[in-house]
Amino acid sequence: MKLNYSLITRRTFLNTLFFGWIAAFFSGTFYALLKFAFPTLGKEPDFVVLDRKDFTNLAKNSVKPFPWGGTVGLYFTKDNGSVMALKGVCTHMECNVAYRPDERKFYCACHQGWFDDTGKNIAGPPPKPLEIFEISEEGEKLIIARKGVKVELPKA
Amino acid sequence: MNCPRLKNWLDERYDRKEITKLAKSKLVPEHRHDLWYYTGGITLFLFILQFLTGMLLAFYYVPHVNFAYESIIEIVTKLNMGWFFRSFHHWGAQICIVFLFIHLFGTLLLKAYRKPRELLWVSGFILLGISIFFGLSGYLLLWDERAFAAVRVATGGAGAFPIVGGFIKAFLRGSIDVTGDTLLRFYAFHVAILPIITLALIGLHILLVQFHGMSVPLSLEKRKLRQVPFFPNVFYKDLMIWLVVLGGVVTLAVLLPPEIGVKADPLVPPPANIKPEWYFLFLMQTLEFFPGTILGMNGETIAILCVSAGILFFVLIPFIDRKSARGEKSTLFTWIGVFYLLYFLTMTLVGFLS
Repeated sequence: MKLNYSLITRRTFLNTLFFGWIAAFFSGTFYALLKFAFPTLGKEPDFVVLDRKDFTNLAKNSVKPFPWGGTVGLYFTKDNGSVMALKGVCTHMECNVAYRPDERKFYCACHQGWFDDTGKNIAGPPPKPLEIFEISEEGEKLIIARKGVKVELPKA
Repeated sequence: MNCPRLKNWLDERYDRKEITKLAKSKLVPEHRHDLWYYTGGITLFLFILQFLTGMLLAFYYVPHVNFAYESIIEIVTKLNMGWFFRSFHHWGAQICIVFLFIHLFGTLLLKAYRKPRELLWVSGFILLGISIFFGLSGYLLLWDERAFAAVRVATGGAGAFPIVGGFIKAFLRGSIDVTGDTLLRFYAFHVAILPIITLALIGLHILLVQFHGMSVPLSLEKRKLRQVPFFPNVFYKDLMIWLVVLGGVVTLAVLLPPEIGVKADPLVPPPANIKPEWYFLFLMQTLEFFPGTILGMNGETIAILCVSAGILFFVLIPFIDRKSARGEKSTLFTWIGVFYLLYFLTMTLVGFLS
């Protein structure tokens, strides 16, 4: 079938070409700018390896901090001598929590959040319990890992 | 000083008479509420002071995680007048935010936002938001433990926003946690990005004021008010008030230099009595109202959404208040304004005292 006249005018065609080109140009530009402005984020570690001798014979009912990625983990020695490791960051707004030995609770000073000595959120705004890590030992190394993560140490 | 040659030189190139005529034609109505007109000028003056002192501080501040804190200690202990300019920059910012809030609530309660000045209201509100971001980014530069915790909370709070939260958080932090990358980013915001946006918006804001002229309160709109020329009558009054404000800021800067806390350490919990800057206290108190989970949903997200809805309504008041747009008395919005003001004041006070 042959049409006697064109479905689009010459002006529409040129406008589409022109603005299409502009849109393509600017979306490419903004994409590049945004790519640059948003960094490639690292991720939280799956496990950290610590020196075992730094974490033996700690005082009962106390915590010792260790670096967990960019934040803090707490190595917690309870009254009965049992130990646990947890992430020392409040689940509400990411402030570091402090251990209160006389009350046997963790306290977040930013918005008055409380956690008991198992890491459970008991008062204030925190929505979730503190994250508990698994502790394992390998020779002189103390390995603290997220629950369910398979730890594979690089061969030294 | 009468330089005929200079005047001549200018006259040959520019229409000086036209400019003088324009300046003389600016009139300001005189009435019992006209004191509110000066609050905007005061904030402008304080912005200028912040720009000047900020430029000076930038000569010496080192935006690196290992040296930032130390460089501020050096500014206040070793440099000539360093203690003064850092203190001045701190107090200038505080007083600037005080006057921004006074200017905001004055505009709200006198309904100066009403048609045709909606865009003035919106541009002013964005300027307030930017100023608060200026405050937050400025006090992270100290890199002490209070600033560190505050920025974690503020950026984490932005992260609780549904859908876009993660992007905003990553953009602000430049990393998954608040680190040296965040410090550098906030430095860029504080000294480059925000100042440029501020200049543009202040320009627009002032241009719109010139275009619309001063707003007259609804109750006085029908009356015939005396108009006084801006140059020189009001301008001289402006200058006098600015001088008093300058005196106030200098006095505060000399008598109450701001403290510098302990250097930020990601492994150490913040001090037990930690509090954000006073203009975040009402937000902090609001956040503490919300329990961790509400009907199985994340309380934090709901809190952020409620606060955002409150702020959004606030910005849209000029578009919602149809009565005052028609020039009628709008009691409902007076009460809404009073409610916002009282909420802000009581929550700030509760946060301050608790």
